[in-house]
Amino acid sequence: MSARPKPISGEGIPDSDLPGPYPVGSYAERLRNRLREFARVQLVGEVWGFRPGRARVYFELRDARGALPCSMWQSDFEALGVKLTDGLRIVAGGGCDYYPGSSTSSPSFSFAVTELRIAGEGDLLVQLERLRRKLAADGLFEPQKLLHRPLLPRTIGVVTGERGKARDDVLAGLERRGWAGRLVWAFAPVQDRHAAPAIAAALRELAAIPEVEVAIVARGGGSLADLFAFCDEALCRTVALLRVPVIASVGHHTDRTLIDDVAAVSCSTPTHAAETAVGVDCRAARAHVATLTRRLHGQGRRAIVERARTLTHLSRAPGQHVARHRRHLHQLLRELRASAKRGGDQGRSLASVHMLVLRRSAARAAGADRVRRRAELERLALALAAHDPDRTLARGYALVEDDAGDPVTSAAAARKAEDVALRFRDGRVRARVTE
Amino acid sequence: MSSGERTYESAVARIEEIIRRLDSGDAGLRETLDLVKEGRDLVEYCAAELDAVSSGLDELRLEELVARLERAGTEAG
Repeated sequence: MSARPKPISGEGIPDSDLPGPYPVGSYAERLRNRLREFARVQLVGEVWGFRPGRARVYFELRDARGALPCSMWQSDFEALGVKLTDGLRIVAGGGCDYYPGSSTSSPSFSFAVTELRIAGEGDLLVQLERLRRKLAADGLFEPQKLLHRPLLPRTIGVVTGERGKARDDVLAGLERRGWAGRLVWAFAPVQDRHAAPAIAAALRELAAIPEVEVAIVARGGGSLADLFAFCDEALCRTVALLRVPVIASVGHHTDRTLIDDVAAVSCSTPTHAAETAVGVDCRAARAHVATLTRRLHGQGRRAIVERARTLTHLSRAPGQHVARHRRHLHQLLRELRASAKRGGDQGRSLASVHMLVLRRSAARAAGADRVRRRAELERLALALAAHDPDRTLARGYALVEDDAGDPVTSAAAARKAEDVALRFRDGRVRARVTE
Repeated sequence: MSSGERTYESAVARIEEIIRRLDSGDAGLRETLDLVKEGRDLVEYCAAELDAVSSGLDELRLEELVARLERAGTEAG
């Protein structure tokens, strides 16, 4: 604690018993320090006059016996993700604080809140958990999950508040999917005690329309008390037994209501719910179908063209087969001729070699035997000349020949031939056998 | 697959199955022609489904739609 300030001398109230006068700023500072010494506590009361400032949010906490101005750092408050409305019962934790002000700003007292929660939420959570176990025990979390959810619904039903931001978010999600089918809006209160029965009735009516293939239930964030309508047992039982799949998007991703448990799918935002309702990006799907069409046409065409080509090939096959064999035979013939030529040349060349060898042998043998061989040769020549028919003819004999020039060697043959020729040394004379 | 059970996703799945079969090259001519015909029918169905959700958002209020259906029911009755 700071030391007691010194009084300003000569300016005090005459005859006053009170100490001072002290500078007000010093006193304000001491007051702040004293207030900060108060024990930090939790207070319970109702919120009134909530207003955000530049750095802090302000509200009053009231009950029947009194009230206290409260403030809270804006960043701390936003981190809680709660919304404070007049009359909402809360528990605020913190301590007293005093802003001493200055010559240009007013002083202010506030209970500086550092912790806050919605009162009674604990009771709600216990109640919620009990109901969740009951619905689970009745098997109501399963039926919606077993329903077929079409990838590309033509008609979608949406249950939401008419003036809520969720409505725009659903439209944004559908636009992102490129989906522009039929949308049936079932507007219903989404917060007060009328909400649950109205939402259940809207869902039943949507499900009664045969064209509706999927339903979205959407609501933005809020306190658990605000979202409690979506934990209504009758509503949850209605959803569980509905013929159409329900996609729920209630509150922020940190909140989990019972409708999230019984629905076919639970999404964190209405935009996400809309994207879940339409399982394909319609623009991409159109491109995909175009690709499938091209591949299908291509395959059909290819199958026919390839088979036509095969048939054409087969129809040419016999002719090609014969031509191939003909070419083969010609090739064999060429090879045969070439081979024969090579064999002849080789044979000739071999014969020349033999002749040379013989001549050389003859030359070698020609020495001592030459005279004997010549005498023998002359003897043979004489024997040969003795058998020469021309020599016989020269002696006056004639040779009888038939028309072909062959010798007629018997009288019977001469009679048969009738016309014969007589060959003398100097020529032939035709003769007729008259006998 | 009968037309009563046909959905966009089942149609796309069947087309992809058909293309896989055709890509394998194992299908004979008759089977190929049958598959291509079936595929073309499915593609037309998918294109029609996509057209149905591309013609512009048709927003209706539930109470208007219910009133319209009730009127149609009365007139038919």
